Amino acid sequence: MFPGQAGSDLTKTTSYKVVLPFYVYAAFSFLVSAVLLFLSSPAFLNHYFQPHILAITHLMTLGWGTMIILGASHQLVPVFIEGRLYSNTLGYTSFVLAAIGIPLLVYGFYVFNMGEPSKWGGRFVVLAILAYLINLGITISRSKKENIHALFVFTSMVWLFLTALLGLALVYNFTTNLLPRDSVHYLPLHVHAGLIGWFLLLIIGVASRLIPMFLISKYHNVRLLKWIYFLINGALIFYVLEFYFIRNTEYLLLSWLALFSGILLFMYYCYSAYRQRIRKQVDEPMKISLLSVFMILLPAIFLLITIIMISVFARENTAISLSYGFLILFGWITAIILGMTFKTLPFIVWNRVYHNRSRTGKTPNPKDLFNTSVFRIMSIFYLTGLVVFVAGCLTGILIFIKAGSALILISSILYVYNVMKVLTHKPAIA
Amino acid sequence: MSVETNNNIKSMIGLSALESVYDPEIGLNVVDLGLIYKMNFDEEGKMLHCTMTLTTEFCPMGESITENVKNALQATYPDYSIDLQLTFDPAWNYTMISEEGRSFLGR
Repeated sequence: MFPGQAGSDLTKTTSYKVVLPFYVYAAFSFLVSAVLLFLSSPAFLNHYFQPHILAITHLMTLGWGTMIILGASHQLVPVFIEGRLYSNTLGYTSFVLAAIGIPLLVYGFYVFNMGEPSKWGGRFVVLAILAYLINLGITISRSKKENIHALFVFTSMVWLFLTALLGLALVYNFTTNLLPRDSVHYLPLHVHAGLIGWFLLLIIGVASRLIPMFLISKYHNVRLLKWIYFLINGALIFYVLEFYFIRNTEYLLLSWLALFSGILLFMYYCYSAYRQRIRKQVDEPMKISLLSVFMILLPAIFLLITIIMISVFARENTAISLSYGFLILFGWITAIILGMTFKTLPFIVWNRVYHNRSRTGKTPNPKDLFNTSVFRIMSIFYLTGLVVFVAGCLTGILIFIKAGSALILISSILYVYNVMKVLTHKPAIA
Repeated sequence: MSVETNNNIKSMIGLSALESVYDPEIGLNVVDLGLIYKMNFDEEGKMLHCTMTLTTEFCPMGESITENVKNALQATYPDYSIDLQLTFDPAWNYTMISEEGRSFLGR
C-alpha cells in the first residue's frame, strides 16, 4: 500500500542538469533563427529550396523545436509513465552530439556545402537522436501500465529517427548517387515524416497530458486519443505508400482527410479539457499554448490548397508552400513552445532552488520567476510578426516580410530575456 | 476529503500547519488539495505518522512538497519524530479538492 518513503527515490525526478542545457540551446537557436530570418528576408520571395531557407528551417526544426522537446521530454516522459529516466548519461550524450551536429549542418546548408561539414553534422544529429531513442525507449518500455501518451511519444521518436536517417541520406545524395533520384525529389517525404511523424505526434501526445493537467481539468479521453493516433499515423503511412508505389496525387487527399480528422479530434479534445477545467483563470502561457492548438488549422488548409494545385495544375504555388512551412515552424510549433517553456522551465528551476526550503519564509511561485509583462509583449510582437510575415509571403511584398521578421526577432529577444531571467534566478530568502 | 486520525485536536493543529504548504503550480495548499490522507499520533513512541499522496506519482514537485510537509509538521510538533509515508492507493483525483479549494480555483 505504501510504495515509498517521502524523499525516497519515489519522488526523485530527472536531474535539472540533463534538462536545462537543452532549453538554453533552444532559446539561442530561436534567436539566431530569427536573426537569419531577418537577414534572409528577400529569399522568401522565391522558391523554398534555397541555402538560407534550408539553413533557417534546420535551425528551427532541430536547434529550436527538437532541442527543447528533447529537453522537456527527458523531464516529462518519466512523469507520464510514473517511472524514472533510464540514463542521465545518455541524456547528456544526446545533448552534446546534437549541440555539435546542428551548427555544422546549418552551416553546411547556409553556404550550401554538402561536403564534410554537412555530413558530419548529419552524422552527429543521427547519433544524438539514436541516444535519445534508446534512452526514452527503455524508459517507456519499463512503464508498468499501458499509456497512450507514452505511445505517442515513442512513435514520434521512431519517426524522428527515420526522418534524420533520410535527411542524412539526402545530404550524401548531393555528392554521391546514393538514391535513385535527386534529393529534391525526396524532400516532401523528409519534411512530412518530420513535421507530422515527429512534431505533430509528439506535441499531441504531450499536450493531451499537459493541457488538462495545467488547467486542472477532469477531462481525459483515451479512446479519442487512440483514434487520433491511428488517423495521423495512417495518414502518414498512406502518404509514404503513395509516394513510393501509387504515385497518384489524387490519393493525397485521402491522407490529408485522415490527417485533418486527427487534427480536428485533437482540437475537440483540448476544447473539452478547457470546458471541464476546475481552475477558472487561464494564465498567459496557457493562453498561447491553447491558441497554438488552433493554429494548426491554417497550415492544414494551406496543405490542402497545395495538394489540389498539384492534382489539378501539376505544379505547386511556392508562396503557399513557403507560407505553409513558415506557419508550421514559426507558427504552430513556436507558439506551443513559447507557451509551454514558461509552464515547465520555471518549475524545473524552482525545484532546484527551493526544493529543500521549508516554508518558514516566503518563497515565490514558479510563475513569479519570469516577467509576465515581458511575456505578454513578446506574445503580441510574435503574433503580429507572424501575420505580417505570412501576408508578405502571400502577396510578395518584401517590406511586409522584413517587418514581420523584425517583429519576430524582437519577440525572440524577449523570449531569451525571460528564459535567462528564470535560469539565473536566485533565492529571495535566506 | 476527511483526514483519518486517532487524535482530532492534534491532527487539526497539524493540518493548520500544513495549510502553509502549497503545491507551487496550483497555488493551493496540500490540505485543501486533499493530499493528506492520515495523521496518527503514537504517544508512547512520540511518533507522528502522516500518510499523504501527490497529484501524480512522479510529480516533478513531489520532493519539494513532501519535504515541506515534513518540515512543517516537525516545526509544529518538535517533540515527535515525523514518519511521512507516500501512498498512491487511492490515487488522488479532482474530487478530493475541498470546497474552499474549489472556490479558490474559481469553481
